[in-house]
Amino acid sequence: MNSGMGLSPIIPDHRDGDDTIAKRAHYSPPWADVSIIGVAGSSGSGKTTLSHAIVNSLNLPWVVIMSMDSFYKPLNPESSKKAFRNEYDFDAPEAIDFDELVNCLRDLKAGKRTQIPNYSFEKHARLENSTVIYSPHVLILEGIFALHDPRVLDLMDMRMLIPAFQEGIIRDVRDRGRDVEGCIKQWFAFVKPNFENYVQPQKNVADIIVPRGVENRVAMSMVTQYIERRLLEKSTRHRAALKSLERGYDSEPLSDRVLVLPQTTQLRGMNTIIQDIDTSSEDFVFYFDRLSCLLLELALNNAQFKEHAIETPQGHNYHGLVGKGEVSAVIVLRGGATFEAGLRRIIPDCRTGRVLIQSDVRTGEPELHYLKLPKNINEHDTVLLLDAQMSSGGSALMAVQVLVDHGVPQNRIVFVTYSAGRVGVHRLTKVFPEVTIVVGSMVPDFEERWVEKRYFRC
Amino acid sequence: MSDQPAKRPEVGPTQCVGPDYRTESQKPVATVSTEIEYDNVITLPQTPQLIALLTMIRDRNTDRADFIFYSNRIIRLLVEEGLNHLPIVEQTVTTPVGRTYAGLQFQGKICGVSIMRAGESMEQGLRDCCRSVRIGKILIQRDEETSMPKLFYDKLPEDIADRWVLLLDPMFATGGSAIMAVDVLKSRGVPEERILFLNLIASPQGIKKFATQFPKLRVVTAFVDRMSQGLDEKNYIIPGLGDFG
Repeated sequence: MNSGMGLSPIIPDHRDGDDTIAKRAHYSPPWADVSIIGVAGSSGSGKTTLSHAIVNSLNLPWVVIMSMDSFYKPLNPESSKKAFRNEYDFDAPEAIDFDELVNCLRDLKAGKRTQIPNYSFEKHARLENSTVIYSPHVLILEGIFALHDPRVLDLMDMRMLIPAFQEGIIRDVRDRGRDVEGCIKQWFAFVKPNFENYVQPQKNVADIIVPRGVENRVAMSMVTQYIERRLLEKSTRHRAALKSLERGYDSEPLSDRVLVLPQTTQLRGMNTIIQDIDTSSEDFVFYFDRLSCLLLELALNNAQFKEHAIETPQGHNYHGLVGKGEVSAVIVLRGGATFEAGLRRIIPDCRTGRVLIQSDVRTGEPELHYLKLPKNINEHDTVLLLDAQMSSGGSALMAVQVLVDHGVPQNRIVFVTYSAGRVGVHRLTKVFPEVTIVVGSMVPDFEERWVEKRYFRC
Repeated sequence: MSDQPAKRPEVGPTQCVGPDYRTESQKPVATVSTEIEYDNVITLPQTPQLIALLTMIRDRNTDRADFIFYSNRIIRLLVEEGLNHLPIVEQTVTTPVGRTYAGLQFQGKICGVSIMRAGESMEQGLRDCCRSVRIGKILIQRDEETSMPKLFYDKLPEDIADRWVLLLDPMFATGGSAIMAVDVLKSRGVPEERILFLNLIASPQGIKKFATQFPKLRVVTAFVDRMSQGLDEKNYIIPGLGDFG
């Protein structure tokens, strides 16, 4: 993991079967192997409050709280009637769809995107729409039975139990739309016996027991410190993994999927204007837009076409081509937005998603901050992934990983960039050998991002 | 691809088109530009994207807005290619991150000259690439009686003799009016080698005439069609795209 800039020969990571694609390297995004923290405790013990307090004290954008309430089993008509009479036992483990929960947690652990069901207490049914969770670094799972299922326990990094035994009635009436009488009925029929049968035994599998919940400062700081340490370890591993992907960049030829714009005199002339620090911003934008059109035209040659015979106005036949399906674009903010003017000149109605990836100021580790993709992007024929510059390739790798996680096959992704260094291109093609990379010009490695600053003038 | 019924004369060679990393079977087959042996003719690379654009503008069912949009995209590519032939000098600049870039600068002034009326449709594409470019006009019409081209009007920049000229006409068939336009330019002192004739579709006959009459002039085209004599004894570009104007 910790090999540096290497002259050492590349050692294929896997050799699956025949040959050629054997050199594919593996990249694991920082959100794979999410840290899962379980918070269990009886109804009204303060699980939610504790979870929010943990989130607040971590102060990180990638922490998600998942409530086990989302995983109540959808009720059949009979159970549903019972539920409305407050005779259905919601506080027994049987009411929870643990299989679904385990599937969701396993997906998240693998770094994949997952859909969390939405359960309505008013209707006692799952709602049509589900909530998408993608790429958290820490997930807090809170629920009465968070520590009940052994499969869930196995996936957890830390198991917490709040032993308090308080009433959850007021909360149920206020937040969950139940009536007072119903809640009292529930209380004596189910909550109390369940607590003794199921909640209490979870003590045996908890790593820490937090009396008084959120007020327990010592426990709180233990938890946050533990998570912070885990995240730091992961960040170090991620950066080391990125580094190790450099191996062989200076000795191996570029993949045939790397297409560099032909360095014609016109292109070099435009580059001279674009790269000159003394160029006026008006000229910079004009020539950059012009060049981005050429880049995008080149990129579109990698879309899929099918044969298409047409008839000319004079009635002659012509065996032409037509694009097979939809071409959409995803802009890696902020750099990729410099291509937007060029993109509109070529595909005026292009569906355009956005992903914000920023490098941590101290460590240089790329971080995913925001994501908005076209709904059925996995069905699009070609997805142009746009970024102004690629140096280390860290954010490009992450952006491609995001698309792959959303079901876009590698060979439909065309990464377009104004300039790239060899290291970055090498890393990206090692991990994603079927992604096409279209580059305006190859530049020295590790160049600071300057194009977007010039283009947007800030 | 020979499964198309030969309703009309053969329209040109066919070939698989697509990026090199795809195998032949992964690439669709399309009619491509006819090979030309003259080295003063530059044909744009026959990429699938270019073929798709040409398909769009040749299709009788394409509406006007699409026709204009897609032909503009081809015209921009033609202009970008044409500009490659201008003279240059080396110029090294410092980039915003302090690196030096060994670049180059274009020498010489340019202007556009469109052969009216169809050539004017290429002006927008030229302006997209060269802001505030001077554009002259030449109007040549076929004389109804002699069916020979006749010069009706011209308005050209006064210093045109010192400029490189991008001569614009989307369809280059028999070359009658284009030859006359070049003669006009030459009479104003523009040397042949400083004229770049840009067109979307050319014919081998037109190109041959130019190559023998103006060997130093360069033609930049997106596609070379075949030429065929119609029933009315007139020559047509096959498959062509109809009346561009």
